[in-house]
Amino acid sequence: MKKFFKGIGQYFANFGTAVAKGDLWTRLSLVIMGMGYFGRKQIVKGILMTLIEIGFFMFTFQFSLTYLAKLGTLGTVQREEVFDPLTLTKTVNDYDNSLLILLCSIIGILFIVAFILLYISNMKTVYRLQQMKEEGKHINTFREDCRQMINNKFYITLLTLPSLGVIIINVIPILFMVCVAFTNYDAAHMPPSNLFTWVGLKNWGTLFSFNRNSGFGYAFIRILGWTLVWAAFATFTTYIGGILLAKFINNNNTKCKKLWRSLFVVTIAIPQFVTLLLVSKMFGTYGIVNGFCSRIGLTSFLKDIGLLSGSLNYIPFLSKPGWAHVMVILINIWIGVPYQMLIATGILMNIPNDQLESARIDGATNFQIFWKITMPYMLFVTGPSLITSFIGNINNFNVIFLLTGDYVTTNPMYAMANASETDLLITWLFKITTNSTTKQYYMASVIGIVVFVICAGLTLVTFSRMTKGDREEVYQ
Amino acid sequence: MKVKKTIKQIIRHLVLAALALFWLIPIIWLFVTALGAEKGINTNHFFPEKWSLDNFAQLFFRPDTVANFPAWFKNSFIIGCACCVISSVFVLMVAYAFSCMRFKGRKALMNFSIIIGMFPGVLSMLAIYFVMKLLGLNDSLIGLIVVYSAGSGLGYLICKGFFDTIPVSLREAAKIEGASELTTFVRIVIPLSKPMIVYTVINSFMAPWMDFVMARIMINSKEPANWTVSIGLYNILQRTLIGDYFAVFCAGGLIVAVPLSILFVIMQKFYVEGITGGAVKG
Amino acid sequence: MKKKLVSALLVAAMATSLVACGGKEDTNSQAGKNEGKDTQSEVSKDDALKALIEATKDPVDLTVWCSEQENWQTEMKKITEDFKALYPDVTFNFNIGAESEANAKDDLLKDPEAGGDVFVFADDQITELAKAKILQEVTTTYTYDMAENYEEDAMNAASVDGKQYAYPLTTNGYFLFYNKDFVSEEQAGSWEGLLEAAKACDGVIGMDMGNAWYVYGWFAGAGLTCTFADDGVNNVCDWNSTTNTPTGAAVGKYIMDLSANPEFQSIGDGDSRTLKITVDGKEKNIIGYVDGLWAANDYTKAIGDKLGAAKLPTFNIDGKDYQMGGFKGYKMVGVNAYSKNPGWAMIFAEYLTSAKTQAEIYETLGEGPANKNTASVANSPAIAGSMAQLPYSDFQRVGGNFWTPGASLGTTLYEGTKDIQKALDDAVTGITTPAQ
Repeated sequence: MKKFFKGIGQYFANFGTAVAKGDLWTRLSLVIMGMGYFGRKQIVKGILMTLIEIGFFMFTFQFSLTYLAKLGTLGTVQREEVFDPLTLTKTVNDYDNSLLILLCSIIGILFIVAFILLYISNMKTVYRLQQMKEEGKHINTFREDCRQMINNKFYITLLTLPSLGVIIINVIPILFMVCVAFTNYDAAHMPPSNLFTWVGLKNWGTLFSFNRNSGFGYAFIRILGWTLVWAAFATFTTYIGGILLAKFINNNNTKCKKLWRSLFVVTIAIPQFVTLLLVSKMFGTYGIVNGFCSRIGLTSFLKDIGLLSGSLNYIPFLSKPGWAHVMVILINIWIGVPYQMLIATGILMNIPNDQLESARIDGATNFQIFWKITMPYMLFVTGPSLITSFIGNINNFNVIFLLTGDYVTTNPMYAMANASETDLLITWLFKITTNSTTKQYYMASVIGIVVFVICAGLTLVTFSRMTKGDREEVYQ
Repeated sequence: MKVKKTIKQIIRHLVLAALALFWLIPIIWLFVTALGAEKGINTNHFFPEKWSLDNFAQLFFRPDTVANFPAWFKNSFIIGCACCVISSVFVLMVAYAFSCMRFKGRKALMNFSIIIGMFPGVLSMLAIYFVMKLLGLNDSLIGLIVVYSAGSGLGYLICKGFFDTIPVSLREAAKIEGASELTTFVRIVIPLSKPMIVYTVINSFMAPWMDFVMARIMINSKEPANWTVSIGLYNILQRTLIGDYFAVFCAGGLIVAVPLSILFVIMQKFYVEGITGGAVKG
Repeated sequence: MKKKLVSALLVAAMATSLVACGGKEDTNSQAGKNEGKDTQSEVSKDDALKALIEATKDPVDLTVWCSEQENWQTEMKKITEDFKALYPDVTFNFNIGAESEANAKDDLLKDPEAGGDVFVFADDQITELAKAKILQEVTTTYTYDMAENYEEDAMNAASVDGKQYAYPLTTNGYFLFYNKDFVSEEQAGSWEGLLEAAKACDGVIGMDMGNAWYVYGWFAGAGLTCTFADDGVNNVCDWNSTTNTPTGAAVGKYIMDLSANPEFQSIGDGDSRTLKITVDGKEKNIIGYVDGLWAANDYTKAIGDKLGAAKLPTFNIDGKDYQMGGFKGYKMVGVNAYSKNPGWAMIFAEYLTSAKTQAEIYETLGEGPANKNTASVANSPAIAGSMAQLPYSDFQRVGGNFWTPGASLGTTLYEGTKDIQKALDDAVTGITTPAQ
């Protein structure tokens, strides 16, 4: 942390030095960014820099400033239209669109931040050029600069496009949704016809409130709990299942290993929404499985031992709490094991054979070998990916959404929050924005941020431990 | 002794067969429903009463406004191919930069990109839609390609793990001979990372065939010819349509599975190497 | 706007040119000059239409959203062709989209600017669409007169707060389908009769108790209410009333007792289409089921001539029969307020709902016309059933918080509960919770 602030301090100090000690060309760069380069005969670079500067100012003054000016209120002019019945045309006033204001402001701010960073580093570069000139060192020509981009500055070339993509697809939308958590964006305040505005921390209060009139607090705690339970079960069952299956197939006594593996892998290749939908139909109230169960007497048996309440004449596989919870975990095993099996297969092949041999010579049983050698090795190797799949399961939208689509909650507190017992946080927030008629985007955002904090926290803890030792160097 | 071993062997294979059957039941059901003469959903019996190939014929030769499969297939295929290329290139580029080069802010960038990837995608979809609209890319195949592949750089982790295992000496030798980083990347590292490429290609090719949530938000057009396979198939599930088109839906699901299964089975070896090569190091 | 951003981006990122147009932001006025003035006699309406035809020089792009069903799409294609023929001086480019009437609202709310210019939707969405100002208000009609063509009922359904926002197209709502082989016309009149018939033939009767839309019918039938509060967003509901006769609890008790019979099943919409269902391991016939016109084709396919349709059955509490209520509605045609061609969109919406087109739609699609002059033409059994229920049903005027608690209540009662009053109280609390 200290290092971090020191770094920032250094950053600005360097800028100060550049301004204070710069010569005319360097100082001119404060106004026209390319000047420093012109002075050192780096014409092309100078032109480029100046053009970027002009481009930035044009963008900001022509485009983003109009939006940034309204960021504080998110717009005040509501859309109004006048229809002229005689010409069948209409006039619409110049209205504000809160959504566009917020989005474009974010883009504008990103541009400004990027420009400031560029501006400062530009000053430093120009100052360095000045120093180099004074010391009589060689100053790169444009061609040499370009050459650098595929050599020791190759990473800039490599990272530019992917970063741009990530900014457009990830960073901007995330910033936008985070902002939404502090607004009243819902069906009643839906742009373009209506405006939404800032409400501060009110939505966070709603989530953590436990009064009787809002199911949010009630549902939130329970759904959070179930999300974590689900993620834990879903991760470990498929993980263990995958390893066991891989071991079973890879055993020397198994013939046609590839064929068996392929049979399981086929299940990955069919879109999940197709297979999951089929499975949910099979386990439906009037589905094949229920018909089968009552034919063989399982339904009445379960009734007799009290696992099934008297009024039901079917097994509520996916329609009652408890039953549905167990079923989604079981069905998830079906979905996840083939995938884990593939991964495990690869790793098992890589287990150092000498270890296994020596253990066998020492008289260890197969079981002992599995627990003492194979598992620790697997855990060591797949530890990080275990975390990744844990987080993947926290966000496992498909399985829950498609399997429990027909689930109707009988708990009024859940019903009030548009949730149901089987919902994960992620499906809950989806329901809030789509199924419910109030479309409380702000609540969805709040929940989304909570999910994000949980996941990011988990990852940071585990990954920082990994990167600390800098093991990556060891292998190279 | 030998008899005992044979029996054990048989039992082992029987268990495997039972497991495989269990795993394949839904797929078998998908298969037989697609081959059934009944159009609607049939929850009462497993096998159809009458068999026919009509569903497939309808899928391919009689496209209508509900099930325009040839157009969907074409759209998904275009998106899939474009995504493959872009995603693979992006992932390789990012992984090389992070694994083989050392520069200021590298660790910070790596951590940042891991955290960015944690934000629930379902939530940011609406915002992505409006960003795309701002760029004039909503409602188009290009837009979907961008959406599926632009953020793919974030998935560099496994590939980086793989690159980490490539001996430094290889790259250094190249540099001593005067090769630039670019040459090292293209001539030495990429040829070595075939499993990684296969892994990325498969994953990114599958996205447009599997994803129905994002695609439905991105594509405004209600003209079925503009849809992808997943939007189209998902649309069939509406209550007004499922009665007439369920079998067609199954046939469609099966057709989608064919190219992907083939891809998977052929590439299995590479795929496994890809995941695990990366996973060894995280 | 879009262009400006892109070009500005280009400049900034690539530093290539200094172009980027400096023009003022487009005003949002949509087309045309403002000529002509005041008074709206019949003559000026015709004039307005003529003026519109003359003023239209460029091709008119219209996107029309209607039901995703194949026959609807084909029919719409034909309707647009006829419409083009009607105005030969104007070039139209129609783009017909497949959008379920039930989903129109969701897609329009997401981004109205990208929505269809003219769209068909179920009237329960009208309040939200009007509140979101996505529906173009219908101040006047040009090619036919509303009042001469529609019952007051239909006009009301197309209005919000006294302003008309849509053109009624076809009737909508649920009623009873039954199998004439097993159920007599008299038995179809009451749940008791249906139950008796089901017991006699080992069949199944049912409805979807996990859907608040249907559950409403029971309580409405008993004279209990659930509707918009004065603000038009939240709900008022007295389903837990202890003073009404019958009380809410008595209705709940009736539903519970009925559900206790194995012959009565809560069957979801998708599971009923073959009118066969597996209960207790045996495949049984569904001989009576509450559903709407959209399912009529499937049921006809399943049992053909034996399909009967009637108003919803009565239920008997303390010796008195109560007619089950329900929701009724219309499919409406709406014009998008964000349409670039509001004039032509309105004219087309009028054509789509004209008596002639409605008759055609009935002929080819079997949907009951909303136009009172065309309604008499329609006489299929399913439509007769739907018409018979209309007087007992209400318009769907409930706020968003009705659905989940209502569905929850239906499921609770169907499965049985010890404390009916508490289940009702919980549901009412949920339904009347103010939307934040």
